[in-house]
Amino acid sequence: MRKEDTVKLISAEGFEFVIHKEAAMVSQTIRNMLTSPGSFAETEHGEVTFPEISTTILEKICQYFYWSLQYANGKETEFPIEPELTLELMMAANYLHT
Amino acid sequence: MTSIDNQRDHKSMGGICSRKRDQQVFEGRVRRGVSGNYSKSSSSKWLGTTFARPNADLQPGCSFPSLLELCIYRIREDISRYKSFSMLPRDISQQIFNELVISHCLTAASLEAFRDCALQDVLLGEYPGVMDSWMDVISSQGSSLLSVDLSDSDVTDAGLGLLKDCSNLQAIALNYCNNISDHGLKHLSGLTNVTSLSLKKSCSVTAEGMRAFSTLLNLENLDMERCSGIHGGLVHLKGLKKLESLNIRCCKHITDMDMKAISGLTNLKELQISNSNVTDVGVSYLRGLQKLIMLNLEGCNITTACLEYISALATLAYLNLNRCHLSDDGCDKFSGLKNLKVLSLAFNDVTDACLVHLKGLKNLESLNLDSCRIGDEGIANLAGLPLKSLELSDTSVGSSGLRHLSGITLLENLNLSFTLVTDSGLRKLSGLTSLRSLNLDARQITDAGLTALTSLTGLTRLDLFGARITDSGTNCLKHFKNLKSLEICGGGLTDAGVKNIKDLVHLTVLNLSQNTNLTDKTLELISGLTELVSLNVSNSLITNEGLRYLKPLKNLRALSLESCKVTASEIKKLQSTELPNLASFRPE
Repeated sequence: MRKEDTVKLISAEGFEFVIHKEAAMVSQTIRNMLTSPGSFAETEHGEVTFPEISTTILEKICQYFYWSLQYANGKETEFPIEPELTLELMMAANYLHT
Repeated sequence: MTSIDNQRDHKSMGGICSRKRDQQVFEGRVRRGVSGNYSKSSSSKWLGTTFARPNADLQPGCSFPSLLELCIYRIREDISRYKSFSMLPRDISQQIFNELVISHCLTAASLEAFRDCALQDVLLGEYPGVMDSWMDVISSQGSSLLSVDLSDSDVTDAGLGLLKDCSNLQAIALNYCNNISDHGLKHLSGLTNVTSLSLKKSCSVTAEGMRAFSTLLNLENLDMERCSGIHGGLVHLKGLKKLESLNIRCCKHITDMDMKAISGLTNLKELQISNSNVTDVGVSYLRGLQKLIMLNLEGCNITTACLEYISALATLAYLNLNRCHLSDDGCDKFSGLKNLKVLSLAFNDVTDACLVHLKGLKNLESLNLDSCRIGDEGIANLAGLPLKSLELSDTSVGSSGLRHLSGITLLENLNLSFTLVTDSGLRKLSGLTSLRSLNLDARQITDAGLTALTSLTGLTRLDLFGARITDSGTNCLKHFKNLKSLEICGGGLTDAGVKNIKDLVHLTVLNLSQNTNLTDKTLELISGLTELVSLNVSNSLITNEGLRYLKPLKNLRALSLESCKVTASEIKKLQSTELPNLASFRPE
């Protein structure tokens, strides 16, 4: 992965996920951060910190980003969600417009 | 054949329960947005719309389910795990709630998890099992609750009492609630923020119960259709100066005195008093309603004498006078209705002599003359009107009358079913290229007539139900690429003719019943019409063997194969494995 094609997502605990920009932009919120010129520091550094999203949840969200890209390309598998994560995951999904 | 009023008479589930109403007066009926408060918020574009959720609606440009949706589906799957959603932001719990309602997974037990969730909409109209025991959780939404629909439930007066503290309620629907009486309505009197109240067919409600409404000073819409005992109660509405819409259709005992009681409600824009005992005297009390846009007097005991009062209503645009036994006597008064856009005169005894007086109605866009005693001569008077919709079903209009229509180029909707129009007359319609819907359901129409219409390429709906169309006539259908609905049931079609139907890819409704020679080949031919929602090929030679061709029709919701060699069990099999949206089928 070329650095300019990636983005770093940082969880509440400080855990860093480096993923493709294309995947991260599945989230409307992240897309706005990365594409609105000048208005977010995130645009320049390619880094977004989520002080309210735990590592477990952020990992799940990254998995979802990649899953949805595959889904859109016709690979319609099921996306597994552990029941104990649903409520927290929903709140994050709501925030991320995902 | 049916009056427009009845055609539109669908139960709109929770229809009145929306704050963001897109109100539209339409052909004597009021249509309201069916959506709840949340359906327009960005986080839930996909909720609260329909049972089938097309992916395209999820997010613009996205072709996969959102994570939020996946979570909600997951929750639905094992809803019993969740004891409370009250820690969630309320718009999320609202979405979970809506999903459970849509999927019919909400039960008394799962409802408990929504206690104190600050829900804004509890729309449970026609939801099975709703009763008083549900009301405690519903009322726990407290001041957050803005709209509630308990239509067709077993909720009683006592249950209704629990809503007393939901002081911000704006919309309440209690249609078809047989257990709610005057006593229960008393509990509503303190809910002064209510703007919409719907109590259709509440048979135990009387004039006394309506006393509770006198304090609802913000009320804008009141629907008491089919409440047979409310006569005399309209006096309690006198102070409701904000009332814009009042529906008391089919309240049989409503009389002229009730009209007197509402004569001061000068903010009224829509008034429906059809099928009541109101006479010309009653209509005279409405003269002061100068904001009235729509008036429905269908089936009332009135004469043309009341048109004088109606003419005085300067803003009136929609008038329904169907089934009023009106005759030509005094029909010159029609000329005074100059602002009318929509006039329904179906099932009256008026003749051509009456139509002379419609000539000057220069704003008229829609005219319904279904089953009136009119013919070609009368039609001449319509030639200069800006009509978009004209209903001439069951009249004596024939081919020579059609020449008067050839200049009405705005026409979008024309019904000539059961008229005397023949093939040769249809040529005069060839220039009406704005036509979207054309009904030619008449036995004397044949292939030859159809060939004269090939210029009408904008047609989306073509009804040739009883017309004698054969395979050769279907060659014309290729000109109608935009067709969404097609009916050809005259008996003359074979599989060869269906070849010309298979390319009409936008068809959602197709009726080919009564063509007794159609075989399984027909189903094979139409298997590419994947937008089909309703298909009828009853009375044909279709067999169980042919059902497999229906597999690609994933949007199919209604299928009729009555009097074929098809068994219900085979259709059921198909439904469970291939056609999840199939909601109704015959044989069953």
